[in-house]
Amino acid sequence: MLVAPLCGLLAQGCASQADRAKRGSVVTASATEMSTMDMAHNDSVYWAQLNIFDRLFETRMVDGQATVVNSLCTDYRRSEDGLTYDFTLREGVLFSNGDPLTSSDVCYSFSRLLTEAAANTEIPLQIKGGEALMKKEADRLEGFRIKDNTHFSIVLEAPNGGFIAELSSPAMSIVNERVTRTAKNFGKEPTETIGSGPYYAAEWVPNDHFTLRYNEHYWGEEPTVKEAVRRIIPDASTQDLMFQNGEMDIISLSEIDSLIVQRSYKTERASQIVHNQQIGMTFVALNETNRFLKDVRVRKAICMAIDVNDIVHNLMCDDGMRQNGIIPTGIWGHNDKLEGPPFDPDGARALLAEAGYHDGDVSFELALSSNGPQLLYETVSNQLSKIGVKANIKVYDKAAFMEKRLAGEVESFIGTWFMDYNDPANIMAVFFGSPERSKGRSICYPNVDIMQRVSAAKHIVDDERRKKEYQDLERKIVIEDRAWIPLYEGTRLFCTGDRVESFTPFWAGYEDFCVKDVVLKKEARA
Amino acid sequence: MKGSKASNLLRRLLYALIAIVGVATLVFVLLRMVPGNPVATLLGEHADKETVERISSSLGLDKPLPVQFADYLLGALRGDFGVSLTLGKPVAELIGPAFVNTLWLALAAALVSWVVGIACGLAAAIHKSTIIDRLFMGFSLLGVSLPVFMVAMLLQYVFARYLHWLPVAGVTDWTGYILPAIALGWGSAGSIARLVRSSVIEVLQQDYIDTARAKGRTSTQILVLHALRNAMLPVITLMAMQFSGLLSGAFITETIFSINGIGRLAVQAITGRDIPLLQATTLLCTFVIVMGNLVADLLYNVCDPRVRKEA
Repeated sequence: MLVAPLCGLLAQGCASQADRAKRGSVVTASATEMSTMDMAHNDSVYWAQLNIFDRLFETRMVDGQATVVNSLCTDYRRSEDGLTYDFTLREGVLFSNGDPLTSSDVCYSFSRLLTEAAANTEIPLQIKGGEALMKKEADRLEGFRIKDNTHFSIVLEAPNGGFIAELSSPAMSIVNERVTRTAKNFGKEPTETIGSGPYYAAEWVPNDHFTLRYNEHYWGEEPTVKEAVRRIIPDASTQDLMFQNGEMDIISLSEIDSLIVQRSYKTERASQIVHNQQIGMTFVALNETNRFLKDVRVRKAICMAIDVNDIVHNLMCDDGMRQNGIIPTGIWGHNDKLEGPPFDPDGARALLAEAGYHDGDVSFELALSSNGPQLLYETVSNQLSKIGVKANIKVYDKAAFMEKRLAGEVESFIGTWFMDYNDPANIMAVFFGSPERSKGRSICYPNVDIMQRVSAAKHIVDDERRKKEYQDLERKIVIEDRAWIPLYEGTRLFCTGDRVESFTPFWAGYEDFCVKDVVLKKEARA
Repeated sequence: MKGSKASNLLRRLLYALIAIVGVATLVFVLLRMVPGNPVATLLGEHADKETVERISSSLGLDKPLPVQFADYLLGALRGDFGVSLTLGKPVAELIGPAFVNTLWLALAAALVSWVVGIACGLAAAIHKSTIIDRLFMGFSLLGVSLPVFMVAMLLQYVFARYLHWLPVAGVTDWTGYILPAIALGWGSAGSIARLVRSSVIEVLQQDYIDTARAKGRTSTQILVLHALRNAMLPVITLMAMQFSGLLSGAFITETIFSINGIGRLAVQAITGRDIPLLQATTLLCTFVIVMGNLVADLLYNVCDPRVRKEA
């Protein structure tokens, strides 16, 4: 009696499996759901920003070098004092609902970052009158001057050599003013979240899936992918099975913890693997208020005792690149001539002895956030133990870790910083831009002069001078003060399914990517 | 008699209410006691002190604790649990559809566990001490001892990866519930089978079974009308309690099979320190378990005339 319905049930199951690969559509997955599509509040998942919205400029990788290119802006001119920028918008750009894009939309997009209790206020705050608008002392952004529908200028409070690069940051996405002003749930309701990007949000079931569909009004080249479904699959082995089963078209192998599974992908699907150098620096942060770590000789000894090449080779299966500075490879201003100290445990031991420390004297906490890279921590701790330094790993709940780090109380940790835009300020100023910032990262760097110079460096308009200044500061921080121990830049591996012809990941190596950069094979197109 | 029944029911309802309010208070207090800032977690690497303070203030997290507690309790009474920090939507909007998904999964899993559990238990009892008994009891032992995640992964490998009959994860249609229901119901089926077997064996040894046999009743009649009916009393209690457990405890199954249910929401709330979502999911789970136990008690009253008489 049970057999007949069971057969029917399985037949239906088979049928639904057979038609899962929809033409013109790709399916991808992530373990992390975004909280909103609103760039004012979303600071870590960029799926919506990269696909629904455009920015005035975009960053692209050209021959391994991040390069800022025009997007909605076709031309700009900077005044000699570096304070005023005149922009020309691309003509004929329409939002996905058919509304034309104008200078007013750009002004509104930047202003709302300051009026929405946003997480991303740093860039628009530089515009003249930004602070007054944020404090509600003004009702408009004084420095944003609209000339006509396609021309406007921006006046800054102080010059900023990297301003154009900053405008390519996902946070600076342009929204439809008319719809957003009246929207009750901008960023949450697909119908109220309108951009001019290649796709529009068709459906969003939080914690389940998010569907993008091709925006027929898109001004750029028509992509081969007409629909993209991003499913939320928290379990990595389930993602792996779904990909193997053909239920997903692109998988980020970095989501899969198992090195064995990663290796099997590399050997069995070598031609489908896409390597993407992450423009993000993994580093060891040492808190200089700690009684041991405030001694530069101890910090240098720690630096000499960590075998980064071993980590990259054995732990990361060579999917990474050793780094010696702060500014990552691929970012404007990167110094490839910077040399780190050699791996030299004996020299490290001698340095510790010179500082008056012997085996087991130096001991500090290596704080690990609950979602952190445990194997990397264990490797570093083990390497340090060989010179008699006890780096005691302590696991914190993520929220407790973040609170402790913000208070400047974490003794040491291993972090990774991904770049949002192509300028050294995006990393140098974040960690060493002021005593408060340095404390908020639990580095507590005491050299105020250097921090003032870091803060001032972004105001240098001359590109060559600015680059030289950043590189000089980087050398002082990393080589002289050993206030930052660089480890490596990782490589994110994606594997593409049989229906994908080519795929270009996002330049910075995020898990999120622009769907238009996926090219489907002819037989898989709509 | 009726008055005593009503007061009994009222007393139980009052206990249930006390338990729910107690858990709500405990959850509120515990979440504020543990170290860590939920806004800093939300902002991640980009968090700085000023931004954290500004956003905490906009979310009302800087209000005095008694004010937050009063807001929370009054909101809960209205069904308003605030806005999820990690998913950015009103918690009530998230919990509604998630509860429906969990309910479907729990119903399907309960169906699997009841049908399989009762059938196996009966077969084992009828064929006591034979190879069939040992086979079914071995099967039920596997059900009780195999962890859910292992059953889930085995099912995924066999039915999705190799046979391609069913999807690996996610629910796009009803077929998406089949594997998770089996994974979730498997363990419960094992315990039901064992209880049914022992209860039926015990009942089959009673005098009234011999009387029924003497009256010329067939084996099937004896089994269904006399043995199973009486043996089901403890089983019904177990099934009712298991159902509330299935409704509130499908954390692993929902995560592995990517079902947007209450369990997965709770896991997300815990990892993201999403206080409003965590408070609401915990409260809902408490409600379901308390109500499940209450229903189990009442069912026992309804099914067993002796208990009814005592009451």
